[in-house]
Amino acid sequence: MSATTAPGTNRVARWFVYAVLLLACLYYLLPLFVMLSTSLKSLDEIRAGNLLSLPKSLNFDAWAKAWGTACTGVQCEGLKGYLWNSIRFTIPAIFISTLMGAITGYVLAWWRFKGSNVLFGLLLLGCFIPFQVVLLPMARTLGWLGMANTTAGLVLVHVVYGLAFTTLFFRNFYVTVPAELVKAAKIDGASFFQIFGRIILPISIPTITVTIIWQFTQIWNDYLFGVVFSSGEQQPITAGLNNLVNTSTGVKEYNVDMAAAVIAALPTLLVYIVAGKYFIRGMTAGAVKG
Amino acid sequence: MGALSIRDVRKSFGTTDILKGINIDIEAGEFLILVGPSGCGKSTLLSLIAGLESITSGEIHIGGKLVNNLSPKDRDIAMVFQSYALYPTMSVRQNIAFGLEMRKVPKAERDATVARVAQILQIEPLLDRKPAQLSGGQRQRVAMGRAIARNPTLFLFDEPLSNLDAKLRVEMRTEIKLLHQRLGTTIVYVTHDQIEAMTLGDKIAVMKAGELMQFGTPQEIYDQPVNMFVAGFMGSPPMNFIPCTVQQQSNDYGVELETHGQRYFLTLIGGEKLKSSLGRDVILGLRPEKISHPGEAHQASHIATRLRTKVEILEPTGADTLVVVIVNGKKIVCRVHPKFAKAPGESIELGIDSSNSVVFDPSSEARIV
Repeated sequence: MSATTAPGTNRVARWFVYAVLLLACLYYLLPLFVMLSTSLKSLDEIRAGNLLSLPKSLNFDAWAKAWGTACTGVQCEGLKGYLWNSIRFTIPAIFISTLMGAITGYVLAWWRFKGSNVLFGLLLLGCFIPFQVVLLPMARTLGWLGMANTTAGLVLVHVVYGLAFTTLFFRNFYVTVPAELVKAAKIDGASFFQIFGRIILPISIPTITVTIIWQFTQIWNDYLFGVVFSSGEQQPITAGLNNLVNTSTGVKEYNVDMAAAVIAALPTLLVYIVAGKYFIRGMTAGAVKG
Repeated sequence: MGALSIRDVRKSFGTTDILKGINIDIEAGEFLILVGPSGCGKSTLLSLIAGLESITSGEIHIGGKLVNNLSPKDRDIAMVFQSYALYPTMSVRQNIAFGLEMRKVPKAERDATVARVAQILQIEPLLDRKPAQLSGGQRQRVAMGRAIARNPTLFLFDEPLSNLDAKLRVEMRTEIKLLHQRLGTTIVYVTHDQIEAMTLGDKIAVMKAGELMQFGTPQEIYDQPVNMFVAGFMGSPPMNFIPCTVQQQSNDYGVELETHGQRYFLTLIGGEKLKSSLGRDVILGLRPEKISHPGEAHQASHIATRLRTKVEILEPTGADTLVVVIVNGKKIVCRVHPKFAKAPGESIELGIDSSNSVVFDPSSEARIV
């Protein structure tokens, strides 16, 4: 805002901005509201009532069913098994891809070897490759490695696919770190990995947070890789949700579907709420030199 | 052999020559200044000494040991950087102890060293703070503390004061000098500030475009510059360069000065050397303090002259007033006592002392006398 604008127009402009933001908020929150309220209604209430009306009483039966007894194909054990599956491959995949991204980003930012720029360019290209393109080659590779249909295999897929992004995040942060910091550590006698572990990694916390949030969202919400590279017992929650919603035994239980969808989305939401503060702090506290 | 010996060191990036054969030798305990304008290669030379970059050809010896192929950590050096380069996530204590820790010095010894260094630099109350909680001057001290803690053969300073404000810079300059006197260490110090160079150095190496122009004590550099670049770079305000012609008056050789229609003859010392240049165009180099209000010296001396001219511009500095006049068609800065200064446009009498004057060849810019 320029200082020359009259206070009156300034206020009008500000209210306009607020109105737009409010509208955007409503637009994004309305589906969540519908999901939550529907998940708390009974089937009768859903059939009789309005989509936007509040539930008459808090009824958690649909949640219990989605969690423990809803059918996802032949077995009827709800989503709890799938949730555990997702956690089992998401956590290692996030940590491996983030750590590897930090190391490769560090090397690409500080080690100007022949062809390093070409390599970085190719890596950027990796960010634009759609999931579908890598499906077949990846399946063959996992087969060769004897990792088809294993949790470790799925972790590998997500690490490989995520590496392009995580490297990019870290590399772009490290090029802003003053080179003198690394030189000082070299003169102080620190080795490559000592510099990385003692100097570089501790100042990367903001970038680490951003990368973890990004990777968590990507991996947790992934459906395609999960369906293709795992089967039956190992399938992720996104596959479980799909199975649950598509298994029809007569009546369509919207309340259970909604509860299951919220359960599947809850961890992502939680990560944003817990780490969001650090996310914003990380965006602003990049200044190392001061 | 001395503490640092640089022999015909060259550095090229591709086809670009950054350093074109540098030779410098200093003794243990000496304070060497590398000075020159931006891009002269002084920081590159420091990086080569530190081992942060590899040399293209030549030899570098530290403490009598050839270090060409040693990594920075094995060269027994410590370095203070322009941006201080303190480790942001570590406390001051950890910053100072880091180099010792990397060298596997036992914890008790590390603590003792940190305590000693903190006491020398008077940063004891700051030991548990993070770098972000320190002021510029305090960060500077911690950066020096980190270097001192290691007790190396050679200290390297890369423009350490250029991020400080003017007042603090003068304070820290004095402190660095004091520290050098107390610890008796050998220091290589890069700066583009000629005042820092003059005040701190035992030896000064003036560099330009990858070449060593002159290497000597501050007074040698100031009084006997080898060429117009060194003469113009060192000293503030810089040396006056007056174009003139070599002439003979009876047995004396000198130059003719013209101002506001009046002509004066200035006898030069060592005029015999000018004999071969008789009638040639030269550049006379005169420090501003050698053109001042007329004193007794100017009356008696054979190598001094008085001239009357008109003040163009006045620049009071407090202690002295700089008076700008025009001689031989060029603006000349003179340093006079404030009470002798005249307002612009007024006539002023000046005494020129040519005892420390120098004469340059206008085409090669090298010194003749």
